[in-house]
Amino acid sequence: MTPAATISIDHRPEPAPRQQVLPNGVMGMLLFVFTEAMVFAGMIAAHTIARAGATEWPPFDQPRLPVAITMVNTAALLLSGLVLLWAHRLWPRSPADARRPLLWATLLGSFFVAAQGREWVALIGEGLTITSSTYGGFFYLIVGTHALHAVAAILGLVWAWRRAGTGRLTAGQFSTAAIFWYFVVLVWPALYLRVYL
Amino acid sequence: MTRTVRLVALTATLLVVLPELAHACPVCFDPRDENRLAFLGTTVFLSLLPLAIVAGTLLFIRHRSRQASEPVPQTEPTA
Repeated sequence: MTPAATISIDHRPEPAPRQQVLPNGVMGMLLFVFTEAMVFAGMIAAHTIARAGATEWPPFDQPRLPVAITMVNTAALLLSGLVLLWAHRLWPRSPADARRPLLWATLLGSFFVAAQGREWVALIGEGLTITSSTYGGFFYLIVGTHALHAVAAILGLVWAWRRAGTGRLTAGQFSTAAIFWYFVVLVWPALYLRVYL
Repeated sequence: MTRTVRLVALTATLLVVLPELAHACPVCFDPRDENRLAFLGTTVFLSLLPLAIVAGTLLFIRHRSRQASEPVPQTEPTA
């Protein structure tokens, strides 16, 4: 190797350090959320078609859904999403301070699920079951699928909260858990407008 | 008329007539406007939603990629 060649290699500028575009967990969660969005879209479409084809919706012999109380639940869920967004923004500057709003978001989400469960018990008592009519079938299918997602997302938030307590939660892990909850929050108003109103 | 020509004519006639008889698509021939509009609306919704999701994801990744491409400020080595 000649001296000139050695000088040329020594003075080659080093490439600037690059950051990862998206953490793997976030990318995986986004893909999962997209598939789940299509699942809900399919159910909304099926509900829309069944409703349009029915002579009477809801059927006269079926109980009416509690629109007002569910609106309160919806407000709690939306508030939970906002509180989590606040925690998410707080996280890079002060992870310790973000833990408290993360807990509040989890508690508000838990309240939503518990209130929906209470509503289910009341509706079953009034005669609305998954086999009582197409109306009941769609209600329990759509709202139940959302509740399953909400429970799973709450477990994710609890996991994040506990991990943040020991200082082992990374920004990518926080975002992964948060994205799932944002999805649960954002898909609900569409379900509420379609199923309840 | 040869046998081949008759066969071709018969096939062409059936191809023209049979699809009209089939009417397999309940969306296209439902007399009720509400039902037809529901089918049309949900078809448009289910067609556009995945495209919107993919487009939004690509834009988001491009935005993040541009952010990541910006050089990271070098910190001064401490003594």
